[in-house]
Amino acid sequence: MTTAERTDTFWRRVRQFRSARAGWIRVACYASSIVLLLGVWQALGRSFGVLFVPFTTTMSQLWEMLHGGPLLPALGVSAKLYGVTLAIDIVVGVAVGLVLARMKLIGAALEPYVYVLYATPTIALVPFISVMFGFEFWSRVLVAVVISIFPILLGTLEGARSLPRQHLDVAAIFGSNERQLWRDVILPYVTPYAMTGIKQSIALAMVGTLVAEFFLNPDGVAAVLLQGTTIIDSAWVLAVTVLVAALAVVLVGIGELIERYLVRWRRTAVG
Amino acid sequence: MAAHGGRVGPSGARQAGWWKRALTPERIAPVVAAAFLLAVWEIYVRTQLPSFVATPSGIVMAIPATLAAPSFWFDAGESLGSIVMGVAIGTVAGILVGVAMGRVREIDWFLSTYIRALYALPLIALVPLVILWVGYQPEARLTIVVISAFLPVAVTTADGTRAIPKDYLDVGRMFGAKTHHVWFGIALPTALPHIVAGIELGFARGITNAIAVEVLASVKGMGMSVFEKSGQLNENASLVYVLALAIFAVTIRTLMIRSRRWIAPWYSR
Repeated sequence: MTTAERTDTFWRRVRQFRSARAGWIRVACYASSIVLLLGVWQALGRSFGVLFVPFTTTMSQLWEMLHGGPLLPALGVSAKLYGVTLAIDIVVGVAVGLVLARMKLIGAALEPYVYVLYATPTIALVPFISVMFGFEFWSRVLVAVVISIFPILLGTLEGARSLPRQHLDVAAIFGSNERQLWRDVILPYVTPYAMTGIKQSIALAMVGTLVAEFFLNPDGVAAVLLQGTTIIDSAWVLAVTVLVAALAVVLVGIGELIERYLVRWRRTAVG
Repeated sequence: MAAHGGRVGPSGARQAGWWKRALTPERIAPVVAAAFLLAVWEIYVRTQLPSFVATPSGIVMAIPATLAAPSFWFDAGESLGSIVMGVAIGTVAGILVGVAMGRVREIDWFLSTYIRALYALPLIALVPLVILWVGYQPEARLTIVVISAFLPVAVTTADGTRAIPKDYLDVGRMFGAKTHHVWFGIALPTALPHIVAGIELGFARGITNAIAVEVLASVKGMGMSVFEKSGQLNENASLVYVLALAIFAVTIRTLMIRSRRWIAPWYSR
């Protein structure tokens, strides 16, 4: 057997092994990546000292902060802002999207500005909003909404605009009135488009909440994070960051589940 | 010019004047809407709010003075330079990691937990941590922009290179393509439209996060100036900066959309 043939068989074996044991390899990859990260984190934390604490210290810090610490009340404050923001995003975003799509003239009048505002880094508008509307709860909501509403609005707009003419014609032939038309034709057709936007807005509303809390008199989770940087306590900052990351993964996961459920009848078409 | 009257076109048919065709309701509407909104803003501020609050006329008046100040150009150079550089670094790293994830399942399984968790995380939450590690320095801004661009580019590249049609691979194999040919000769070009979409997202997030770092870490730049000018009750100048940032963002977005059409004319979103 020549060397070339030997390497050839070797790679064929590797390929066979990879496909035959795919399930096991997958679990092994996920497990080893988590173990490796925690191990490296722990090891680095031990040698680095103050600026990068080990995983175990971070977790005990998180435990402490959640039990009687500042974190739970702060989470409540942030959750309220987040919930109100997302609710307004969905209601106003879908409504405005539908109006812009179904009323041609208003759509033509406002659409360019919607796109410009969407492309603008809205975080830069925070000082302006605070001067106009103050630093209180509804001003925070406004900041968060401006940051997170556009995916829903534009998703709904695109969906409603792409509604095929035939759908409306068929509905008209069957004599559906305005209410039936919306309930049975337009809303079901637009749902997947809106849902794609809602999924993005679920993530963006977190950004909006944090921006509002960071920049309009610190409050909520963001204030706790800032407190950690001021006292240069890396365990503190790491603990809160890990918690926010976990929450983000859960929220985005929920968004994906809802989308999959609402769009189940259309999965093949959406791809 | 004969078409001016609308009736004497060469064909003799009913031909609308060029101005009639140009001035369709759809074209007039945005202008009317803008005029209306600006007027409401101007009047509301003048009658209801203190005089330092920005008005459209005030912003226009503030443009020459703001642009004449050398600090504006210093800020623009600092912020935009760091954003462009950060996105460039993040894009290269994201493409390399993304192609590896897209083409080798095991690498995808190994890395996807972290890449996707970080991708879901609002990166603004990382700003305090980065400031703590990197310091109250311009490098903190660069770091955040690099991460902001790396994640979307890695994710879109992985998605794009994973889903290449089997035919392409078969043809490549037949012509004796080596692994690196498949990666960079077949998978990467196929994924280009996805990658451009990732870069676009990276820019959008990078700009936002760069501003966040500037304000939270007191790093000099355009975002810092927006907040600083506003704090000095110089609202009009503050909004000139916002306008400049918006123009930058819209320009980048337009360039990205153009380049996607140019790179991949067959691809439409």
